[in-house]
Amino acid sequence: MIELKDVQKQFGRKKVLNGVSFTVEKGEISCLVGVNGVGKTTILNAIMNLTPIKKGSITIDGESITPSLYNKIAFIPDAAISLPHLTIQESMDFMNDYYDTWNPKRAKEIVKFFRLNPTDKLRDLSKGNQAKVNLLMGLALDVDYILMDEPFSGIDVFTREQITEVFSSYLVEDRGVLITTHEINDIEHLLDKVILLDEGTIYKEFNAEIMRETEGKSVIDVMREVYNG
Amino acid sequence: MHVVFNKRDPIYLQVITHLKKMIVSGQLRAGEEMPSRRQLATQLKINPNTVQRAYSEMEEQRLLFTEPNKPSRVTEDPSVLQQLKKEWLNQAIDQFVTAIDPIDLSIEDLLPLIEDELANRKKEYR
Repeated sequence: MIELKDVQKQFGRKKVLNGVSFTVEKGEISCLVGVNGVGKTTILNAIMNLTPIKKGSITIDGESITPSLYNKIAFIPDAAISLPHLTIQESMDFMNDYYDTWNPKRAKEIVKFFRLNPTDKLRDLSKGNQAKVNLLMGLALDVDYILMDEPFSGIDVFTREQITEVFSSYLVEDRGVLITTHEINDIEHLLDKVILLDEGTIYKEFNAEIMRETEGKSVIDVMREVYNG
Repeated sequence: MHVVFNKRDPIYLQVITHLKKMIVSGQLRAGEEMPSRRQLATQLKINPNTVQRAYSEMEEQRLLFTEPNKPSRVTEDPSVLQQLKKEWLNQAIDQFVTAIDPIDLSIEDLLPLIEDELANRKKEYR
């Protein structure tokens, strides 16, 4: 379990995270939702220890974050993560050399799953295929937790569908997944937990299926109440 | 298999309804192997935990059964299948009656209309 407790973060005088607490469980897909600029990416960066937090604690399976914990967790950012002049195959070879947790067999399966061509150069890829390569680099790591920043942003509908399929496939089996999005429409059915964020605080954290069952509300219904109310 | 889910009802209940319909209509036969939880989740683009819940519920209702280390199967128990058909029919009749209740028609007026519709559909399928 990834656990955030009262996490606070400031950039200069501006409070970005104002006491954020939530958990990400293994075997569940959790989603941080909020409009642009509410601190979603900052939270992911904080979990990865890429940005120091001012107050609060972040633990993974009960331990605070140290470099050795990177064997447990992968971060897939929104931007390209490999060098543009490399081919997909060369990027995978690079990963294989540098990461103990790289799983070449799974990498091959993902390339097939996404119908990518390993000899393509990264700089020649469409935006959709770039997004798939990013996912490939993260999902092929044998880690327990995967963080993905906006995996659905700025890509065409068919790529969206393929990426959606990843989340229900064995590729994320038994792992704890945390994704961020500002656009929940097509992925409501995939999520276990929804964490609604606004101006650095958590407005509401709930299980999507239980919300439907007990209150007859869709995720979007709840968002409307929170953000418009 | 393609299902359009509505966003306000629990997905697992919608999955159950869908699978029941497949059993009632014979698309899933008695004793037939079910897709794995993950296969079905991928097909329907939903969360595997949701499929898990639907399967568990259907096992409790004895519509599915699972032997250790084997895929789940559709029940072979005729009484359970019969009960399901009955339940499905009752529900359909309930919806039908609710829909036509406001219109003042006798059963004698309705019957030929239903017969016509059934005949038309049979023609279309041929």
